[in-house]
Amino acid sequence: MEKQSLSYIENQPALSRREFITIGGIVVAFLALPVVWIRTIVASNNDYIRARTKGLYQDDARAAVRVSHANKSVARYYREFGGEPLGHLSHELLHTSYINRTKGLVS
Amino acid sequence: MHHELLILKHPLRVRMFHYLLIVSFLPLAVTGVILYFKPFGESAMNLAMQIHAAAGAFFLLAFDRVLLFVKRVFTFSLDDVRWFAVLGGYPQKLLLGRKISVPPMGKYNSGQKLFGICVLIGGAVLIISGLALWAFPHLLPRAATAYLGLLHTFFGWLLTLFLPVHLFLGVYMADDFKAMILHGRIPLAEAREMSPCWVEKEVIALSENG
Amino acid sequence: MNATAKTYQAGEIPGVIAIRASDCKGCDACKRHCPTGAITGAFGATHSIDVDACLSCGQCLINCPFGAPYETADSVENVLARLQDRTSTVVGIIAPAVRVAIGEDFGLPAGTLATGKLYTAMKKAGFEIFDNNFAADLTIMEEGSEFIARARGAVFGEKGAHGEAAGPLPQFTSCCPAWVRFVETKYPSLIPHLSSAKSPQQMAGAVAKTYGTKVWNKPADRLYTVGIMPCTAKKLEASRPEFNQAFLYNRRNNTAAGAAYPDVDAVLTTRDLSRLFKKLNIDLAAQKDSAGDTLLADYTGAGAIFGNTGGVMEAAVRTACAVITGKELTPLDFRPVRGLKGVKSASVTLCDAKYNQDVTLHLAVVHNIAQNIDPLLRDVLAGTSPYHFIEVMNCPGGCVNGGGQPVYGNGSSWLGAIRPWFAWN
Repeated sequence: MEKQSLSYIENQPALSRREFITIGGIVVAFLALPVVWIRTIVASNNDYIRARTKGLYQDDARAAVRVSHANKSVARYYREFGGEPLGHLSHELLHTSYINRTKGLVS
Repeated sequence: MHHELLILKHPLRVRMFHYLLIVSFLPLAVTGVILYFKPFGESAMNLAMQIHAAAGAFFLLAFDRVLLFVKRVFTFSLDDVRWFAVLGGYPQKLLLGRKISVPPMGKYNSGQKLFGICVLIGGAVLIISGLALWAFPHLLPRAATAYLGLLHTFFGWLLTLFLPVHLFLGVYMADDFKAMILHGRIPLAEAREMSPCWVEKEVIALSENG
Repeated sequence: MNATAKTYQAGEIPGVIAIRASDCKGCDACKRHCPTGAITGAFGATHSIDVDACLSCGQCLINCPFGAPYETADSVENVLARLQDRTSTVVGIIAPAVRVAIGEDFGLPAGTLATGKLYTAMKKAGFEIFDNNFAADLTIMEEGSEFIARARGAVFGEKGAHGEAAGPLPQFTSCCPAWVRFVETKYPSLIPHLSSAKSPQQMAGAVAKTYGTKVWNKPADRLYTVGIMPCTAKKLEASRPEFNQAFLYNRRNNTAAGAAYPDVDAVLTTRDLSRLFKKLNIDLAAQKDSAGDTLLADYTGAGAIFGNTGGVMEAAVRTACAVITGKELTPLDFRPVRGLKGVKSASVTLCDAKYNQDVTLHLAVVHNIAQNIDPLLRDVLAGTSPYHFIEVMNCPGGCVNGGGQPVYGNGSSWLGAIRPWFAWN
C-alpha cells in the first residue's frame, strides 16, 4: 500500500510575543489567585478563636473583683454552708476520684 | 491507492498532550463518580481514592501545552452564536439524516471551543481544589474546604457529563478521530468542509521537496 | 447503648459523637484533629468513630468541612418540657465560653461578650441562672488550696489534715472532661496527679441541689440542673454515675425522698441553647442586658477567663500568690500563660509567708492535646518534668473553641444560602 504522504501543514501556529505575555499573564494570574486566597485564609484560620478569647479577657479586665478569693458570694457560700476549702463538706460535694478505664469496665 | 491530499492537523506533541488527558481524565471521571455515590465497601472506596489522587497528579502534568490552545478557544465571533443556534448541524445529521449549512468555522468549531474552555477552567479548578482536598483539608478553615469541595464536585460533574458528548462526536467524526488518536493527518477535503476559515487562512502547501 | 463498649461505666453515654456516612467524603481532615486516633476508615472510604477510644471532645465535629459528625445526645426537647413544667425549676449553669460565642448564632460578630443579653434570653425562656464562673471561683478555692498543700508537702514536708501525705506533683487540672477521660483511658498511672477537684460544672450541680435549695427556696428534687457548655464531652461528664453527691448528701440529711437524681440533669451545648432560643422565638441579639438575680451568678474576673487556654492557670496563680505570700499579685495580668502557643510555661518565685522561705513554682499550660500533650506526658511519666502545676485543655485555644460551640462560618454565610440550590449536595 502506498504510504499516504503529507501535502499541507499549518503555517507556524505561533504566538506573537505580545500574545504570549498576555495569555501567559492571564493564566499565571488565574493560577496564582487561588494560592494567594488559600494563604490568606489559612493565616486567618484562628481569628475567631482570638476574638472569643479577647472577649473573655475583656470580661476580666472590666470586672470589679478579679481574684477568686475575694468573691464575696463564694465566701458567703463557705460561711453559710460549705465550711472551708478542702474541708469535710468540700470533699463530699466538690471533690471526686477517677477510674482506670484500661481494665475493661462492664457497661 | 490514489494520492490523497493531507494536512498535518495535530503534530505529535499535541497528540501526546491529548493522550495524557485521556489517561488521566478517564480514571478520574470513573473514580470520581464512585467517590460521589459511595457504592462500595471500605477497601474498594480506599482504592478508588488512591486511583483518583494518582490520576489527578497525571492531570497536573498535562497542562503545559495550554497557552496556544488558550488563544484558539478564546477567539470568538458572531459565527459562534450562529453555530450554536443550529447546534453545529449535528442533531439534524444524526437524527434526521439532513445536512444543513453551518457558519464557517476555524480549526476548532464553536462546540469544541466551548468544551476547551470548560476543560481549561474546570481542569484548573479541579486540580487546585483537588490538591487542597487531598493534601491539607484540615489546615484550611472548614468553610473554605467545604467551598473547595463544592467547586470540585460541580466542575467534576460538568466535565464528566460533557465527556460522553466529546467521546461520541470524537468517534463519529472519523477523520478527526484518526488525526488526534493515530497519525495527526486530516484529508484536505474534509478540512475544507469542517474548518474552511482555518484552511483558507492558516494552511499552506508543502513544496515538492518536502 | 453500645453493648460492646469497654471503657464506659454503666449509665455513661457512650458515643456522644457519631459520623453520618452519607455526608462523609473520607477526606481524613477529622483524623488530624482527633487527640486519640479514634476515627477509623481508610482514605476515601466513609469514616466512623471507635467509641472506646473517643473522648467526645467534638473537635472532629466542628472541623469537618462537610458536617458529617453529629451529636447523638440531644436534650433540647427534654429541657423545653421542663421549662414548661410548672413544678420544675430549671437552673441553667452557664459556662464562660458560651457568652462570647452564642452571639454568632444570632448574627453578632465572634467574640461579642453577650452576657447581659444571654441572661435576659435565659430568663425569658424560664431558666434560673447559675453562672458557672461562680463555680470556677469555687474551683480555684478548692484546687488552689489543693495545689498549695501538695507544693508545701513537697517542699516543706507538710501533711494533710488527717496526717496523710500530700498528693504528687506535678498536679494536673481536672476541669476538662476530655482530658480526664484521656488520662483514664490512656495513662491511668497519672490519675494521682489529677486534681481531685471536680470541674466547675459538676461543682455547680452539687451546690445547686444542696446550697441552692436555700437560694431558690425549692426542694432539690424540683430543681432540674442544665449545664450550658461549649463542650460535647460535658454531656458524657454529667452522665458519670458517681456524680450524684447532692442526692447522697440530701438523703443523709433526710431531705431527700424518692428516686435518685444526678447533680447535673442535662447538658446543652452552646449550639443546643441557640436552637432552644430559636424554638421559643427568642432573638438573643435583640435582648436588653440584665444582671444575675442571685449570689450564684456573682463571679470575678478570675472565673471569667476559665474558657481560655491559660485562664485557669492565671486565676490559680492570682489566688495562690495571695494565699502563699499574703499579698496580692501585681499586676493581676499574668501574660506568660496567655496566647495560642501549644505549650506555655512560666515560673513564679514567691516568699511563702507561712515558712518565711522563697519557693519557685514552675507552671505549664498546654492545649490542643492532639498536637502537644505527648512530649509533656513523656517527661512526667519519666519523672523528669520540671513542672509543678500543669493546666491541660483538650481543645485548641481552650473551651472557647470547644466541640459544642457554634461552628464558625469564616465569612461564608452566602455559601450556606446558595448551597441548598445544588440538589445533589
